[in-house]
Amino acid sequence: MKKRTLYWLQGGGCGGDTWSLFNGRTPDLSQLLDSLNIELLWHPSISNLSLDAYHELHAQLFAGRIKLDLFCVEGSVVRGPSGTGMYDTLMGKPKKDLIATLAHQAMDVIAVGTCAGFGGIGADGEIEATGMQFHKFDAGGFLGADFVARGGRPVINLPGCPCHCDVIAGTIAALCQNGLGELDKFQAPVEWYGTMVHQGCTRNEYHEYRVEEMRFGEKGCLFFYLGCHGPLAYGPCNKSLWNHRSSKTRVGVPCFGCTRPDFPQRYPFFQTRNIEGIPIELPDGINRAHYMAYKGIAAAAAPKRLKDRKTGI
Amino acid sequence: MGKQIYTLPINRVEGDLELRIRIDDGRIADAWSAGIMYRGFENIMRGRAPLDSLVITPRVCGICTTAHLTAAAQALDEIFAAHVPDNGKRVRNICLGAEILQNDVRHSLMLYMCDFANPRFERQPLFDQACRRYRPLRGRSAQECIAATRQILEIVAILGGQWPHSSFMVPGGVVSVPSRADISQCRYLLEQFRDWYEKQILGCSIARWQSVQSQAMLDRWLNENPSHADSDLGFFIRFARAIGLDRMGAGHGHMLSVGLFDTPGATNGSQKLLPAGFFKAGDTTPFQQEVISEDISHAWYTDDEVSRHPFDETTIPYATGNEGPKYSWCKAPRYQGLPAETGPLAELAVAGNPLIRDILRRHGVSAWARQLARIIRPAVILPKLDEWLQELICSRDVFFHPYHACPDGRGIGLVEAPRGALGHWAQIENNQISQYQIITPTAWNASPRDSRDVRGPWEQALLGVEIADPQNPIEAGLVIRSFDPCLVCTVHAVSL
Repeated sequence: MKKRTLYWLQGGGCGGDTWSLFNGRTPDLSQLLDSLNIELLWHPSISNLSLDAYHELHAQLFAGRIKLDLFCVEGSVVRGPSGTGMYDTLMGKPKKDLIATLAHQAMDVIAVGTCAGFGGIGADGEIEATGMQFHKFDAGGFLGADFVARGGRPVINLPGCPCHCDVIAGTIAALCQNGLGELDKFQAPVEWYGTMVHQGCTRNEYHEYRVEEMRFGEKGCLFFYLGCHGPLAYGPCNKSLWNHRSSKTRVGVPCFGCTRPDFPQRYPFFQTRNIEGIPIELPDGINRAHYMAYKGIAAAAAPKRLKDRKTGI
Repeated sequence: MGKQIYTLPINRVEGDLELRIRIDDGRIADAWSAGIMYRGFENIMRGRAPLDSLVITPRVCGICTTAHLTAAAQALDEIFAAHVPDNGKRVRNICLGAEILQNDVRHSLMLYMCDFANPRFERQPLFDQACRRYRPLRGRSAQECIAATRQILEIVAILGGQWPHSSFMVPGGVVSVPSRADISQCRYLLEQFRDWYEKQILGCSIARWQSVQSQAMLDRWLNENPSHADSDLGFFIRFARAIGLDRMGAGHGHMLSVGLFDTPGATNGSQKLLPAGFFKAGDTTPFQQEVISEDISHAWYTDDEVSRHPFDETTIPYATGNEGPKYSWCKAPRYQGLPAETGPLAELAVAGNPLIRDILRRHGVSAWARQLARIIRPAVILPKLDEWLQELICSRDVFFHPYHACPDGRGIGLVEAPRGALGHWAQIENNQISQYQIITPTAWNASPRDSRDVRGPWEQALLGVEIADPQNPIEAGLVIRSFDPCLVCTVHAVSL
């Protein structure tokens, strides 16, 4: 297979996507790189280049003597204060300048995680964080709505806080094998972001019959009262399990909608905004009147074993 | 060679760090540590709902996310006056412990010892072996470490949903109710990790290792059996001594631990498995959070007061660039006005670990001692985690006690995170967060100077370090990384 190069940059972020990537089993990081013949030019948590080799790498990249195939950005683009980017610098210069340079040289740009995609944690803060090609729901972000990488694609967004290891590895593999499928309206691959988070949740039978919890530590559904975004957010959490074992919703932690462009939401976590006991926000594409009728009937049909929390999850 | 000043970006530190060092005749004569990123969580947090800290603060750091969750939950426990049942404490401890285990071996085998495979050491007799073991993603030990740490973190997913970034701890305990089958799975995962740790890292059983209680016994242990000398611990000791890590990186010698693991079954409030304390000149004094302050004289913030307790702190960014004395986004935490280093070495020194105390008595602090403490800490933690898992299997107790509406008030969460002392100071007014301050372990270690011009711990530790090649100043990196820096925490978590 043709050799490709990968540069991983961390902006305004926590490094969580990197450590999520280390959760990968099939493939693990070594297998991913080896099987696709990828040379990892730089990763801030992995590389052991000496200082002069690091400077030489950048000189070669800027001069175009090293071709950059995959540019992965983790963390937001920090623009503050007042657009200068001086809240996040490298050798005295704003890191956003390096991000722009490398984005324009790369064949493909991958925004790994919600911060890189949409601004995430700092998008409403004084650091003026933004995503690579979106600011929350709005196209544009750092590179502008018209940006297209040299390979002909816009920035590929892989939201999640963090992004699941299989999604990162799968997207890199798809790009190397010319097999990247359709992207959704937020430029995320439908393959992984065409599924609701609660699809596959072990509490789904409770959800179905509207057996809803108002306090922690129970078996029922968390959607009506405890702020769960499982039926509202797109992501593979209950299909590609976390750490190959479980998911937040399975163990009783509400989904916080961390793949959504407005994560972290402005309203409180752990509680559902509702009108007369019915959530304000309903699953994508649902008619409110129909939903209320359906949930009324579902609750009436709930078997005793669920109402008594007898059924395991 | 005359005096020269170099600015060095340092990677493999979880975040962004630049060191400015003055080299005088081949040795570091002065050092300035600069956190170069600010994320300003305070405006995000202020005005948010009380429980939101459980979602936001784990996102401060992708590798010590469970430690932040624990500290946030403990601060809320205090505000809500919530009583955490013993099983809630056990699940919290087991998950925090699993995170510490992954961190200690990942840092040692992947982030630290990969410098032993740097061409700078190619004339060392052990260099070829170091490359075979620790070359990034390729070395045998590095690859085994990736597999073993991935697996130990499955425990956090079974009990808490996912790693990193879950929010399963809430005031009054944890939300999950793991079944016996779940806990049994955790025990098998722990057992497999323990077997690997004993075989690969120690080269002997934990029981054998526990009898190593002095420097002399350590040397005897090293030469007693080829499996000891060839283990990753044995190799570390040999290589580190060969390049002089045991003679560099001393620092101030003051150490702080806020105590590891809330013991289940404690009768009066919180009791820690490894005690909290301040270690200075061979003596430990009891820990008091009241004497902690943060100084902003050399950090890019502005305030009427240069130094305040976390409950009274402000965070107003004030970037002056190279103008004036300010040079870092890290504030300078002080304990009784003194800088203090924190981490596994401090934790074990404060707890009176015989081997660590003997090494400190004979040779003082060094980069070698710091890293040694980190590699051997799993041997202290592993038996306790297994004990708590066994207790969980037998117990019928609940994991969570429901709490009532949130009152106004203040709460403090103090947790020994993988890298040392972590504190969350939270205040709630009218059902909203009105103040949230975090002091992370790396804030202590990476601290800039304070208003009395006293250097931070690793600035001090760099003094006198010999730099063979300023273009490849690997010795400075080895001293800094012996603190296991986590800049993503520090530079943006000075305040929430």
